[in-house]
This record gives sequence, C-alpha cells and structure tokens, in this order.
Amino acid sequence: MDSYIDKISFCIQKGKIDSKSPYPPEMKGEPGADELTMEALRDGLNANDILTKAMIPAMGVVGELFKEKKLFVPQVLMSAKAMSSAMHHLKPYFASGELKQKGLFIVGTVAGDLHDIGKNLVSMMIEGSGWSVMDLGVDVKSEQFIEAIRDNPGSVLGMSALLTTTMESMERSVREIKSIYPQQKIIVGGAPLSSDFAKRIGADFYAQNPQTAVEYLGNIK
Amino acid sequence: MKMTPRERVIEAMSLRKPDRVPLMCQFSIGAMMQQLKPSPAEFWYDGRLFSVGLADLCERFSFDGILVSLHGHSPQWRDEILSIRKIEEGKEEVVFKDRTEIHSWNDLPMVKYNNKIEKKLIDDIDLSRDVPDFIDYIPVSQDLYFKVDPQYPFEIFGYLRELVGDKYSIHGEITSPFDYLLDLLGYEQGLISLIMNPEKCKKILEKFTENIADLAEKMCDCGIDAIKISSPFAGMGFISPEHYSEFVLPFESIIISRIKAKGKFTYIHTCGHIDDRLELMRDSGSSGLECLDPEPVGNVDLANAFSRIGDSMFIKGNIDSVNTLLFADDIKAYDDVKKIIETGMKGRGFILSTACSLAPKVSSQRIEMLHKMVEDIGYYQ
Repeated sequence: MDSYIDKISFCIQKGKIDSKSPYPPEMKGEPGADELTMEALRDGLNANDILTKAMIPAMGVVGELFKEKKLFVPQVLMSAKAMSSAMHHLKPYFASGELKQKGLFIVGTVAGDLHDIGKNLVSMMIEGSGWSVMDLGVDVKSEQFIEAIRDNPGSVLGMSALLTTTMESMERSVREIKSIYPQQKIIVGGAPLSSDFAKRIGADFYAQNPQTAVEYLGNIK
Repeated sequence: MKMTPRERVIEAMSLRKPDRVPLMCQFSIGAMMQQLKPSPAEFWYDGRLFSVGLADLCERFSFDGILVSLHGHSPQWRDEILSIRKIEEGKEEVVFKDRTEIHSWNDLPMVKYNNKIEKKLIDDIDLSRDVPDFIDYIPVSQDLYFKVDPQYPFEIFGYLRELVGDKYSIHGEITSPFDYLLDLLGYEQGLISLIMNPEKCKKILEKFTENIADLAEKMCDCGIDAIKISSPFAGMGFISPEHYSEFVLPFESIIISRIKAKGKFTYIHTCGHIDDRLELMRDSGSSGLECLDPEPVGNVDLANAFSRIGDSMFIKGNIDSVNTLLFADDIKAYDDVKKIIETGMKGRGFILSTACSLAPKVSSQRIEMLHKMVEDIGYYQ
C-alpha cells in the first residue's frame, strides 16, 4: 500500500496528471495521479492516508521548491493539476464527512486591481495543503470581503495587490475589516508589498510567496 | 565639456562615461497622471496630449531622456466611444460597444468587458487566423490593450521631436514575443503550454517575433535612439533559466539584432528576480539591461551585476520605486540612491533610473531629488 502513497506523491511532485499526459516526458505513457488514486481507493487504501500522506506532503515539497526558486510556475501549475485530478476521486469522502478540510481560506484581489496570477497561484497551493478555498475574484470591495467573513466565521482571509496604488485599497479594506472583526486573521501578498507594509496596515502576515502562506496557515490551526 | 541630455544618454549606452550620470526614469501611466492631472481618458488616447505630457515631465524633472511607452494613438479615437462622462475629479468612465473603461489619475485604466474574453486552447490556435499578421495592439497589462492605429503607428515620435528638438534622447518601447504568447493563451495556459506543447509555442513565438521585429525596424526610423523591450514575465518569478533559453532568448535575440542593424540601442526590461539569468540576457546581444530590481522586489546586487555583464551591456536602474522613493524617509531615500550612483559610476555604461516604473504616488520632491543628486555627486572627472 505504501507504494501507492509514494507513487501518488511522486506524480504530484512531477506534475504527472494521467497516462495521456505527455508531461513529464520521462513518464510518458505511465499512469498519473489520477489513475493511481482511483486504483488505490479501489484496492482499499484509506482516503485520509492518500490525502495526508501523499497529496498534501507532495504539494508541500512543490511549494518549498518553488520558494527556493528550484521549481517555476509552469511546473507548479502542472503539480496543481495533478493534485486536482487526484482530489477529484476524494470528493465523495469529503461529501460524506469522512474527510475534512483544514479550514476555509477566503481570497481576493483588492478593489481597483484586476490582476489574478499571484492570487490564483496562492489559491492552488493552499488548496493543495488541505484547505478549502473561496475565491472572490478580482476588484473585490471591502464590503464583499466583510460579507464573506460574516458568512464564514473562523475562516482566514487572503488579499492580493499588484499595484502600488491598490495597496491603498488593501489598507482601507484591512482597517475596515479589523474594525468590525478584530480577531479576523488576514494574510496579504503581492509584488510591491513588504512585511513592513503588512505590519503598518494591520494585517497579520505578509506572504512573500505561496509556500509562506501555507506555512502560516499550518501554524494557526 | 558639458554634454546635452541626449549626448549623455547615448554616451552611456555606448559604454562610455559621459560628463555625468544620465538620469532617465520611466513613468508609470499613474505617475504621469498624478503629476499632470489631465483628463485621464484623453491622456490615454490622445497622442498629442500624451506627447506634451512626456515632454513636460522630462523638462520638469530634468531627465535626460524620454521613454515613449505607448505609440499608435489614433486621431479618431473618439469615433468608437458611445459615451464619456466624468465620475469625479480625476476619474472618467468611457463606454464602448464591447467594454467599459474607468480611467483615473490613480493608475492604468480598468476595463470591464461586456462578455468575458475566452482564450483559445493552444491546440485550437490557427497560426494564420489567430496570430495577427502585423502588430496592431500592445498588451499593456492583464486584459488591458492599447490599440495601435496602423495608419498612425509612430506619429507620437514626430510630435515629441517637434516639442523637444534634439535636446533629449527619445526611446521607443516594444513588447516581447513571450508576453504576446502569454496574452494570447492566457497566463496560466500559456505557461503550462511551454511544457505541454512547446513546439506550437515556438511556432506562435516565431510569428510574433517576425511581426514585432518589423514594427521595431520601422520605429527605428522615427528619430529614436533606443528601443526598450518589455519582457515582464521572463524572470525567476515565472520561468526557469532553461525555459528562458528556449522561449525568450532566441526570439528576443532576433528582434535585437534587427534593431541593432538599424544602428539603434536596445535594452531589456524584466522586473523582479533575474539574478540567475543575467548572462543569458547578455547573450541576447542587447546593448543594455533595465530594472535589476534590488531586494526585496528583486534579487540583483548592482555591483555584482556590473562585474558579471557590465563589460558588454549598459545598466539602467536600479532604484526601488516603492521602498526607496515611495515609502522610505528622506535619509534612507538619499542613502539608497547615493549608493546606486556610486556603484553605477564604477561601471562602464550606467543610466540612473528607477528599476521598474515610477510608482504613481511618488512625490514631486522625491523625483526632483534624483536630479539634484546626479548634479551633486554624479559628475565623472
């Protein structure tokens, strides 16, 4: 059974989705995360073991390598796709309550900003770490963040901004949210940000890259 | 002997030392708006107004050169507009048949399309139909395009020369084929396609390269001194050095060689972390490099960059527009810039500039400080 765990983990790390996927070339024709997860479940492997011993650690390795700039966005996207193809087979277990997400991460790009590349990457990595993600999209106003927090107590909020001008709307949103929900955990990220800025506006954490966001979430739960 | 601003920039781009360090920052659209406070929609679309603004800002802050970041303004730009209205001071809504644009003094326009733009899958891309036969748009930002009027592609350069004569160095800007590829496919699919369908990517890149090189060659005939190649997705934040070698370098090299054959300089602008690929960027044959963002925005150490590539390329940079010019106190801002000037002066070709564009809310005083500093400490013996 351990060989399934190792193989699924390996496929996710390598971005091997299924046997039809030509990537990576050295695994062409071999089964991917999709088929292996299906087979593992059919052979009686515990869904929780697949999730917690294969899938989540594999995405952790990917995130770490990305943080160290040993892996790059195309490879990370392939790993996220492989993860997603495996996760598809676990859906019934989540629906039945046998598997549980670690928590809910609400994410959005702040008002006035339409960029979503960074936000999407962070969402994928956080989803890969076992969290459920609610993506509010781009150009998200404070009221939309507040409404999502109100409807989902206990969630963690992530905000993204790529422009120096929209860092101002990020600050506004963080202050408004904290004035209503002082205990609300807020992670911020984006190219022009820094930990000093995050501190100054009252955010709880500055995620320089997706993996640091994953690590932060791992520590608060 | 005191040089003119234009001579100063050309000297630095030729890897020789001018009388003093040339100063030439590129303005973000928001930074221009904040300084000039024009009608934001008119400033974006009207080539004459845009050129007057560029010349005004160059004079105002005593820069030595002007980067023309948008070209191809149509004199008939109002024809397709259904309505235009002022929402508030410095904010206008422009409605087109297919989209609504909000133009403001804050930053680039925000565009909302009536129908979501669906990107084609790479396997469905037909090279003859889906990749244009000539470049008639600039992919400015995510889902934001500037249409290049094929009848008036380079009028802006003429307007500018009328305004400033030969005093300043004028540079044009083109966008890398890699950027056009990612825009065509959507960033996510584009990046995945590099590994899932590399050969098709290369075919698309080849066609874009040919068309961009044509555009660049014609731009060279418009009285400019150099062309900046904007290549924002070619850094470590996105792709590996191997992918850079495969999907960026060969194509930018073709464009660069064609620009240089016209006797003009080139420089590559890639934001963020690029330290691991400086030598690859040099191998493109480009005359210079721009940006070289320092920590925390990037990871380039200027002295180290000069030691690695400074013998064959000029460097234009590398002030952190956010952490030095926008947020730092006066002492830190001065110290940061002083260190950059001192380091740059030891190199062969150096132009003082922000790494990325001037952020919109950088104050006039901070921009003025740059000229005072090159005058105070930027003269070569």
